[in-house]
Amino acid sequence: MARRPIDATQWTAFGLGGLAGAFFVGLVGLFVWQSLPVFRHEGLGYLTGTVWSFRHQRFGALPMIYGTLAVSGLALTLAAPVGLGAAIFTSEYLSPRWRLPVKGAIELLAGVPSVVYGLLGAVVLREVMVDVLAPFEPLSGDTLATAGVLLAVMILPTAVSLADDALSGVPKDLKRAARGLGLSHAQTIRAATLPIALPGIAAALVLALGRALGETIAIFLVIGRQDGQWPERLLSLAPLTGAGQTLTTKLGGAETHIAYRDPLHWAAIAGLVVILLALSVGISVLGSMLAKRGPR
Amino acid sequence: MRRRLLDGVFSGWAAACAALGLALVVGVVGLVLVRAAPAVSLELVLAPSQGAGAEGGLRYQLLGTLVLAAMALAVCTPLATALALLQTTFLPPGAARALGVALACWNGLPSVALGIFGFALFTQELGWGKSWLAGGVVLGMLITPTAAGALAARIQAIPARLIESARGLGLTRSQVAWAVQLRLGARGLVAGLLLGLARAVGETAPILFTAAVFSGATLPRGIVESPILALPYHIFVLAQDLPSPEARERLWAAALLLLGVVACFAAIALRLRLGDREEGQHAG
Repeated sequence: MARRPIDATQWTAFGLGGLAGAFFVGLVGLFVWQSLPVFRHEGLGYLTGTVWSFRHQRFGALPMIYGTLAVSGLALTLAAPVGLGAAIFTSEYLSPRWRLPVKGAIELLAGVPSVVYGLLGAVVLREVMVDVLAPFEPLSGDTLATAGVLLAVMILPTAVSLADDALSGVPKDLKRAARGLGLSHAQTIRAATLPIALPGIAAALVLALGRALGETIAIFLVIGRQDGQWPERLLSLAPLTGAGQTLTTKLGGAETHIAYRDPLHWAAIAGLVVILLALSVGISVLGSMLAKRGPR
Repeated sequence: MRRRLLDGVFSGWAAACAALGLALVVGVVGLVLVRAAPAVSLELVLAPSQGAGAEGGLRYQLLGTLVLAAMALAVCTPLATALALLQTTFLPPGAARALGVALACWNGLPSVALGIFGFALFTQELGWGKSWLAGGVVLGMLITPTAAGALAARIQAIPARLIESARGLGLTRSQVAWAVQLRLGARGLVAGLLLGLARAVGETAPILFTAAVFSGATLPRGIVESPILALPYHIFVLAQDLPSPEARERLWAAALLLLGVVACFAAIALRLRLGDREEGQHAG
């Protein structure tokens, strides 16, 4: 094909695309650039330190990284089995006529703004969690566990919807072949449908995890926002019954506003964004790679 | 016998999970409805709020949210159209795939990161202070990948023969883009934009540092130091410091109003999408 000169439409499209690209690169570049002073000041201690005090110019992000991983991990642990079960039900047990309405109804949960989840969490879930956690004598309903439960509800629709897509994408003749071998419906699902849909289901859970990592406003209202919560025993579940802080709840707090005046303090805040971006981009790339490996 | 039992347990678990999902939907929406019911009135939408949300309505919070949505729409529409055209039509396959991955990463960006970027760029470096424009631009950026993805999906569903016959008539690639891809993809774009707006109007984190204040603002009159009230921020502030019972009803009513705005955008998007599906069936 002969190359035609690029016309106005293409110039505009490439120009706007370039603008969007510049915005994206600018965002990442700005945070990396502005976070450099804190790495010069703290070295790797920024990632491994457990004390955060801007009055004493000490910035250790580890408790917030822990908070983010603990809260998202709990959310995924709760949402994954429920999400997978619901997806199996909608894709395998419901007739096509009922599948979309039921799936759509569960997807409504994804449309509820996070601040409304936050309000529900602050008014309802906090009190419930005080009762549930009573044996551990929590100081209040503001705990990492509360945030994890709230997040689990928020990421459930993502998990259900994408896992349902993966399960529904499994070719029908494979299922028929399995049934023809004498397997029951449930055995077919376990032996044929689930293994084939596994990459897609993994992608669904990874993307749900990505949603959990980046969520700010809802958990901001129920997590207690306590700095420096570093557990004595890393794998113990006890810290979940106390208040804590995630990367996002730290960033959503008033400290971000104050920090801009002091380059080092701002660098520490920008560094948190860099950690968060690294986690979120890593998750997105992993998710798209897994999604590509699904059945055709 | 054992097999039957196992099958029963398996399907029972699946059904219970789906039932739990549906119960959560009913619970979340029902709870907001029940708690908000005593405060629902026309005054809620029409009157400006007084006494830190304890009295009056939510007029400027609602208008502010709509102003932000309009600005987000203005920013997002050209960008999303351009990106979708690049991905489906103008870029070679390799570059288009790379753009797809970049858009997936963009879509996964935590909204608080976008908000802080807007704060650093617009509020501080450009000296806008808190400004509705900064908030609208950040929200527009937030929803761009959603709208671009919807348009790209619609364009990819266009039968190749339509594009080929347009090319065969001697139209240039750009003329085909206008006459076929954008003409047939328009509904997909509008649906994607509305879905994006349904998300944007509920977002708090992007406007936290860039645009929203709790009181003392009405409609924007300029750009610099021109903050705005918004429903999600109103709820966010009051939820941190839960007010007296009567004021609490108004807080729940604000949540219901926000859910209503989100539902309006989402419902129109869904209608367009279902219409698309039927159209596709007739064409196929």
